[in-house]
Parts: sequence; structure tokens; C-alpha cells
Amino acid sequence: MFFGELLASSLRMAVPILLTALGAVFTERAGVVNIGLEGMMIVGSFWGALGAYYYGPYFGLLLAMAAGMFMALIHAINTVTFRVDQVVSGVAINILAYGSTRFLSLAIFNMATTSPHVSGLPKINIPVLSGIEFLKPLVTDVSPVIILALVLVPISSFVINRTVFGLRLRSVGENPLAADTLGINVFKMKYAGVLLSGILSGLSGAYLALEHTGMYVEGMTQGEGFIALAAMIFGNWEPKGALWASLLFGFSEALSFRVVEGGVVPYQFIKMIPYVLTLLVLTGVVKKSTGPAASGVPYERGLK
Amino acid sequence: MDKAVVLRGITKRFPGIVANDRIDLEVEKGEIHAIVGENGAGKSTLMKILAGIYQPDEGEIYIFGKKEKITSPGRAIELKIGMVHQHFMLVDRFTVLENIILGAEKRLGIALDEKKCRKAVEELLSLYNFSLNLDARVEEISVGQAQRVEILKVLYRGADILVLDEPTAVLAPQEVKELFNNLRRLKGEGKTIIFISHKLDEVLEIADRITVLRRGRVEGTVLPSRVTKEDLARMMVGKPVMMKLDKEPVNAGDVLLSIEDLVVKESSGKPIVNGVSLKIRGGEIYGIAGIEGNGQKELAEAIIGLREASSGRITACGRDITGLSIKEIRDLGVAFIPEDRHRQGLVLPMKVWENMMLGYHTKKEFLKGKSLNLKAIRRFTKNKVEEYGVRLSSIEQPIEGLSGGNQQKVILGRELSREPKVIVASQPTRGLDVGAAEFVHRELLKMRKKGRAILLISADLEEVLSIADRVGVMYNGKITAEFRPEEVTPEDIGVYMLGGDVKAGEGK
Amino acid sequence: MKKRYYIVLLRVLAPVLAIVLSALMSSIVILAIGKSPLQVFYTMFKFSLSRLDSVAIMLYNATPLIFSGLAVSIGFRMGLFNIGVEGQYLIGAFLAALAGFSIKGLPAVIHLPLVILCGALGGMMWSFIPIFLKVKRGVHEVISTIMLNYISYSLIHYLIADVFIDKSQKLIQGLGSILSRTPKLSPSAMMPKLHGFLGLFGLQLPRHVYLNWFFPLGILTAALVYYLLMYTPFGFELRAVGQNREAARTVGIEPERVYVIGFLLSGALAGLVGLSDLLSYFGYMDMDFPRNYGFDGIAVALIAQNHPLGIIFSAILFGFLKRGAEGIQTLMGVPREMVSILQALMIMSIVVIAKLMNDYIKRLEKKEEMMVCSSENSSPPA
Repeated sequence: MFFGELLASSLRMAVPILLTALGAVFTERAGVVNIGLEGMMIVGSFWGALGAYYYGPYFGLLLAMAAGMFMALIHAINTVTFRVDQVVSGVAINILAYGSTRFLSLAIFNMATTSPHVSGLPKINIPVLSGIEFLKPLVTDVSPVIILALVLVPISSFVINRTVFGLRLRSVGENPLAADTLGINVFKMKYAGVLLSGILSGLSGAYLALEHTGMYVEGMTQGEGFIALAAMIFGNWEPKGALWASLLFGFSEALSFRVVEGGVVPYQFIKMIPYVLTLLVLTGVVKKSTGPAASGVPYERGLK
Repeated sequence: MDKAVVLRGITKRFPGIVANDRIDLEVEKGEIHAIVGENGAGKSTLMKILAGIYQPDEGEIYIFGKKEKITSPGRAIELKIGMVHQHFMLVDRFTVLENIILGAEKRLGIALDEKKCRKAVEELLSLYNFSLNLDARVEEISVGQAQRVEILKVLYRGADILVLDEPTAVLAPQEVKELFNNLRRLKGEGKTIIFISHKLDEVLEIADRITVLRRGRVEGTVLPSRVTKEDLARMMVGKPVMMKLDKEPVNAGDVLLSIEDLVVKESSGKPIVNGVSLKIRGGEIYGIAGIEGNGQKELAEAIIGLREASSGRITACGRDITGLSIKEIRDLGVAFIPEDRHRQGLVLPMKVWENMMLGYHTKKEFLKGKSLNLKAIRRFTKNKVEEYGVRLSSIEQPIEGLSGGNQQKVILGRELSREPKVIVASQPTRGLDVGAAEFVHRELLKMRKKGRAILLISADLEEVLSIADRVGVMYNGKITAEFRPEEVTPEDIGVYMLGGDVKAGEGK
Repeated sequence: MKKRYYIVLLRVLAPVLAIVLSALMSSIVILAIGKSPLQVFYTMFKFSLSRLDSVAIMLYNATPLIFSGLAVSIGFRMGLFNIGVEGQYLIGAFLAALAGFSIKGLPAVIHLPLVILCGALGGMMWSFIPIFLKVKRGVHEVISTIMLNYISYSLIHYLIADVFIDKSQKLIQGLGSILSRTPKLSPSAMMPKLHGFLGLFGLQLPRHVYLNWFFPLGILTAALVYYLLMYTPFGFELRAVGQNREAARTVGIEPERVYVIGFLLSGALAGLVGLSDLLSYFGYMDMDFPRNYGFDGIAVALIAQNHPLGIIFSAILFGFLKRGAEGIQTLMGVPREMVSILQALMIMSIVVIAKLMNDYIKRLEKKEEMMVCSSENSSPPA
């Protein structure tokens, strides 16, 4: 029973990381580094709560994805059209997200740090399986977004590796000049990758606000956008890898809450676990994993 | 019958330069039409216009008799024009098959129909009798094979006009033969081929007609049967080229650079330099010929300390320099002219004078206490700029604004002015025009006369044979043969460049 | 030669253009909440600049940003992105606080420099981790510094709330527990204010202003960094590595060595970021210790185009904005986060404008070169 619950809460913790990490895979495979994912999650959480507050959870989710996509659009204009440093643009996106949500939260809710309570999507009980005692916590009262996130893993994998779109997306991240000479619209593909990352991060933020907490709280993303980036690297730029990495990080987070109840290790150290783990992963555990060859390099036409 | 390609008055300007000046060109269907010219004559620009990468500022293009605007690479493909680039445009981490179909995939809904793609490519392979492993990753195959992938890419797109940009630059003589056979087969199938080169022998061998470009203009179109190599060279350069350099005999001095059994390994652990030994005396130029990628670059980098020697010994100026830092090696009097100026030789956004002190900025004459003596550095730079005739508007100018030849002069000024005893020059004339290349040769001969030991690595056989005192051929990480230049012909060396096995088609 | 001046003019113009452009864009946000942008900006100017104490507060606000801007810019100059200034200054401030409250009985002339040194040391220590990981294990500094920022938040929290919590504080009426903060620093560790010095010139600052000697120290540091970059061999190496690492390596400069020294220097400067607040206003470290100076430093460095002297001005600009933000919030009811939005827009505008301008300048310079070339060709060969 304890174990089942632990797994269930790991899954709940893993989902926001996973959704954003899937987004990170799309943008990175198109050769655009996006550290603005955190900011896109922030706007997702705010606009998701805002939309849900006025028009219900479905609208909230849609609004969150649109908000994430809007931020991604700014990132794409900066990095693909104007070819500025991708990390700098990402930092600006994060500041913009932080400032604008606080600004709007004050202007709309009259509260800087939280929104009123909002309701999420109706929860699902998976029939048959919920009869099994051990699996019960995993399959009862499940947020549909969790199921969506899990379904998105094989779909993303298929899109990236088995479709024409995916082949072209990858070619743009590996060698944009080659892709360009073959008549592939490099800019369109890069925009597509970045926008997809914004939509998924926005959804991830909305999940936090609507499904996980029931309201928007300032700083609720807690750097998960960055952990998602690490999950993508850990997962070797593949959706399936990102799934396992997200589950691992989610598990450590879930476990940490259990440990808090025990009270042996100071709470602050448990909060560090994902970050320390990420550092360790980047330092040693990762075998020579390599990202797309042209990742982070702006593409300029007419230059060798 | 309509001509395959007709260009009328094509002009393309770049800021400050006219790359193509009213170019007229006619290419018949089913012919191999060569376009020759020096570096910077406008060949590549012209081809990029045909490929839809650049748009001409003026002029008209007719493809198979119809006036067309080639607005993008995609449009070029629609017009059945296929470009085989000099620098391969391949995605290294993709398979051969993925590279060929990319951008023209057969679909099954949104998915890739891999079976159908494979079948189509295999049909092409058998039609033209090419051999290729479709599932190999491009990073694993040889240069000759990669070129075949490039050609297949355009054939797969149904190209009827193939544009090959300097296709032989990276190939060994025997691989060139195989390429030419393939081209003749393509011509037999009715394809039109535009062949860009500056290697006159090859052009005379393969082309049906030859168009010569000079300084962005068409100098004339000739039949290979009616001209000699010297005629073509004259058309290209505008003045008779001096093929022979004045090389005075110099008495060789002590051994200044000696390499014993040097092994350098790649990060994968594969030896890329595999037991090289050589000795160079003062007053001697040792030339290394070979197809690129056979360890020449790594040999040079090991000498200067950029790469670690996993075994063997390098001695310079009487001292064992194996394992020393780059700085220590340079301080001992080893100068390095790297093959990639922009990547290794210069800091492009920095000013000319800053580049002139690069690496020597801790020398006493450039310091005042612990700070830089900017006055002394500027004075030194002005002297060198004058001495070498570097063309620039100011030494405060970022060096990226200088032409390739002038940039190379700055590197020479920096590296040769400190009386080095050993000079490692890796592809020192690559990408330079004839005048600048001549300048480099003269400087190297000057150093030879002064009693320096010079290691010259070059992919340009003619250069090696005309300037070096001894020539070693590097193949597969080893020096497989050594000659005096007067004893051999380029063809002899070509055999060794392929490891002595004349029948093998592959370079690696 | 005239073109040279034109180019310099363009370089100076870029940040000005960026500021104007981002002010225009943020006007949309102001309009959206039904306020007049003109009035908002007017209020900002009036509130910040009309009174002497307001100007002093603006300079006080600018003080930490000078240090963080310099710390970030040193990273940029060598081609590295130190997003970790944020964590480095927190650790630096904590170590300085530790030296401030645990050591007692030293005269100020020894204690204060020691505390400042500890701040620099703390920042340096925290910057050593990412640069070590980069040089030895190839971990990208952007990811590692981001992770270390989060780790530092929790670590500081732990140190303040659990280990060094001030047990001597009196319980505040109505609150059941003591505050999470360190003990108070000794007076000998505190930085004197500028009041006395300015008084010599007849400028009287009220007591609620905390402008202190860290401000002139910041200006001096900027000048020193400028000298280091432009006039010393190490500064030259740092810039060379930043603009072409492979070329630098080829001529005998060890990029790894430059990275380590440069990053430690950046970390040391980062360690000073929080000290102006700590050693004048707070006098202890608590959970409300100012955050985000590290990220502000990125904006400051970018607006100044990484020029150390420019950083002084852009830091003052951001000090002005912060002061102005308080003005528009109190006087007009416009949330002060306006300024965060403005700041983000500034970062984007400056990088876009700088990029476009550099391309343009490069074209100009190419043209110049080509003209020289063509005159060479037309003259008969010598």
C-alpha cells in the first residue's frame, strides 16, 4: 500500500517534468536551446488558473498552452529570426514570465503570490485495475493530464523518429545548411520545434495549477523547467529517455516528502536532491551522450 | 533542341565587390561543361545562383528553354537542377538512406514510408552501378562514398542537370578516375553535367566544353581539343603563370626537427598517426603529401603540442619536446602556421595589432611592468604591416575585415618574425589567390635560406613538388614513401597516396 | 577614418535605442491596465530624481548591480555564461555574515576588510564548482550554475534557519517562534555610510538612506576590471579565449587555465554583490535577504555590452528603475513588477539591436576593405 502510494505520488510529481522535457526534446532536436522553459511553465500555471477561474478547467488548459506558445514565439523570434544568443533570450523569457505574472496577478486577483482556488478536470478511475489493492493509488482519481502526458511519450517518439516532420526537424538540428539546400524550410522547422516546447511547457504549468495544487501559487514551478532540461539530457534527447528520467526525478521528490515526515534529514537537503542528482547525472552517470550537432548555433543563410 | 541552361547577363554584387559581372553561359543538353577559374573568380557564386541559394541582381536564366527565376533551393530542385557541393552537405549522424531521401521523402500519411524510399534508392544504385551501404551512418563512410551519396541525393530528386562544385578537391587520383567513370555513365543516360574546377588536367580530360571565368567575368568558352593547359592557365590568370619558383641550393645544416615513431590516437583510441619518423635539417623543406584525413593535420598538431603523442618522441632544436605545453614548445622556437586560419590562426573580431601579438603578448618587448606596452605593440605591428605589404585601412581594424591573403600575411608576420628555428606550415596557401600564395612560397623559401627547418603539409601536390626538398607521402597515419621531387611525377605519388594499392577504389 | 567615429557612435547608440524601444513596448502593458504610460514614466523620473535622498537611494540600489554586472560580464568576455552569480552572492554574503557575527573584538580596520574578503571567498568557492566541472568533466556551465543556484537557496535556508539561527532574539509580541535569521553582525564589520563624506560638500542625507562606501568601491572595481581586460596580458588572454578559444589554444594560451582564473574572479566579484545590503542596511542575514541581483546583473552587463565602465551607468539605470518602481506603485497603483517586464524587454531589445548593428558595422568595414582592394588592383603593379 505504502509502495503503491509512493509510486502514485512519484508519477504525479513526474508529470510536469515529463511534459516540459518532451517540449525540450522538440526544441533541442530542432537545434534551439530553450532555458525559458521555466518561464513558459510559469505563464502556463498563471494563465491556466486564470482561464479555469473564469471559464472552467478546459479553457484553462487551452489558455495555458496558448500562453506558453506565445512566450515560445518570442523566443523563436529572438533566436531564429534575429539569431541572438539562445541562453540570453531564455533568461529574458524567464524574467518576463516572472514579472508579467506577478504584475497581472496583482492587477487581476489583487494578490501578488496566489490565485483563488480553481477546480481541475474531472478525475478518472481506471476500471478493472482499481480493483487490485496494490495498484489502487495509481489508478484511482487520476488526472486526465497524467494519462495525456504518458500517451504523449510514444506519440512524440513516433513523430520524431518515424515521420517526415521528425526527420526534417532532426536534420535542421544536426545540419541546417544541408537541410536548407534540400529545400527544407529551416526557419519553419525551428519555429515548430520551439512552439511545441512552449505548448507543452504551458500545459505542464497548467497541470501544476489545476491538477496538482488547485490554484496558482507564485514560484510553484520551483525550477522544474530546468530539471526538465536535465531530464531531457539524461534521457539522451529521446522522449522515452525523458520519461524514465522524469520518473526518477519525480520519485526522488516523492520520496523526499516521505522522509520529511520522518524528520531525520533536514527538509532543505531533501529539496536539493533533484538539483544535486542532476549535477551528478551531468558529471558522471551519463555515458557520452551527445546532443544535436548544431544545437545552440543560430542558422544564418548564405554563410558557410 | 533546347539548351539545358542559358544564362544571360547574370550579375551578382556583394557589398563592395562584383562577384559575377554580366555572365553569359550556354550549356547543351547531355554535355559535360566545365567551368574553371581561380579562387574568387566567381565560380561558386554562379553555381549558388543556379542552386537557388543566391538571387542574381540582374540577368536572366533559361532552363530547358524556359525563362525561370530560381528563388530557392527548393525551386532549383523542381527545375531538376541538382547541386553537389564541394563541402558535403550531409547530416553526419543520419544514415546514407536518410540523407538521400531527406526533403523528398515518400510518405505514408504523415509517416515516413521507409520501404518505398529504400526501393527507389536501390533502383538508382543498380541503374548507375554505384555501390553504397544504405544503413551506414555518414560519419562512418569514406570521402569517395560520401560524394556518391551527394550525387545520389540529386539523382533521387530527378535532377537532369548536375552541378558539381570542385568534386575532385578531396579525392585521390584513383578515386577521381572512378568519379569520371560515373560521370560518363550519367552523361550516357542523358544527364547534363556542370563541372567546376581549377584543376586543368582534369578539366581537359572530362569536359566537352570549357568556360573560363576571371574576376567575375566570362573570359571565353573553348573546346578541350583546341587548347593546351598553358592556354587555359593564361585565360584564368591573365598573365603567364610562373610554375617554377627560384629555389637556390642551400646547404643543409643540423637536424632541427626529428620525429621518432610518433603515434597519435583519436579519442576513440584509433591511431590516426601511426608510427611516423622523420628528420628535417636546417635549410630544408620537407613536404608532406597525401589525401586529407590521413593524419597530416594530427601530425602537425602533435608537433606543436596541440595533441598528445601516445608514444614516440619529438625533438626540436636539440630538445625533447614530447609532452611539453604549447607555450613551452613555441618558446623553444617552433612556429606554427595552422591550416584553418579562421579557426586556429586568428581571433577574427580582434584588432589587427591584437592579432599580431597573439601568443607573444607575454614577451618582454611587449610588456611594461606587468601591463601590456600597447605603444610597442602598435609600433611592431606597423613595421610588420609595412614589411609584408598587408593591405588595410588601419591596424585598429578588426582582422575579419581583411582579405584571406592579408590575414595570412599577418599570421606569417607574427610567426616568422621571431626567428623560429622550426616552422610547421599546414596548408599555408589554402584559399589564397595566386599572388598571395606566391608570397607565402617566397617567405618559406626565405626561411629555408636562413637555415630553418620547415615542415610543409599541403594537399596541393604541385605546391609540394615545386617547393620541397624532400617529399613524404602520408597514408593511413604512416609515411609510406619518400622522394626527392625531381625523381617523381604526380601520378607516382598518387599511387602511394592510396596506400600503394592502385586497384582499390576507396581512399580510406 | 570618419567611418571609425560613425561606428563608435553606433555602438553607443545601441543601448539607448534598446531602452527607448523597451519603454515603448512596456507602454502596452501600462495601457492594458488603464494607466497612461507618459504619466507612469514621468512619475518615475520625478520620484527618483527630484530629491537628493531619492538620488542617493537610486545609487544605493545601483551598488550591488555594479558588482553583479561586472561578475556576469567577465564570464561573457571569456565566452562563458555565469548564470550562477545569483547563488555565488548568496553564499558570499553568508560567509561575510558569518565572519561578521562570529568574530568579535577586532578593530574595524581589520574586521571590515576581513568580512569583505570572506564575501569574495564565498563567491569564489561557489564558482569553483561549476568551472571545475566544466574544465574536468565538460559539464556545461549554464546547466550547472542553474542547479547550483537552487542548491544555494536551500543551503542558505538551512544555515540560517537551522544552524546559525540567532537564539538571543526576543520573541516578538504575538508570534510564537523566533525569526529565521543570523545573529547581528558586530559594528566593526559594518560599512560606513557616505553621509559624513558627502557632508563635507554640504550634501545632507537623511538617516533612512543607506548609501555607503561600497558605491565608490564599485566604481573603483569597475575601473580595475577595465584595466585588467584592456591593459594586462591576462585580460588579453581572457578576451582572446572568449572570441576564439581554438586560436588562443593554438598560440599557447591554455583556455582551461583562463576559464578557471576568470571564473573564480567572476565569483569573487559576485561574492561582493550582497555586501552593500548586508553591511549597511541589514546587519544580519535572514530569509528575506534580497534575491535576483544575479539575474539583474545579466541585464546590466548586456545593456553595457560588457564594457566595465558602461556597467556603472547601466547599474545606475537599473537603480533608477527600481527606485522609480516604488514611486509608481505608491503614487499610481501600478504594480512595481512593471520594471521586471521592462527589464526583460530591455534584455531582448539590446541583444537584437546589438546583433543587427554588428552585422551592419561588419558590412561597413567589409566595404572599406574592398575599396582599398580595388584601388590596389587599379594601380599598376610595382
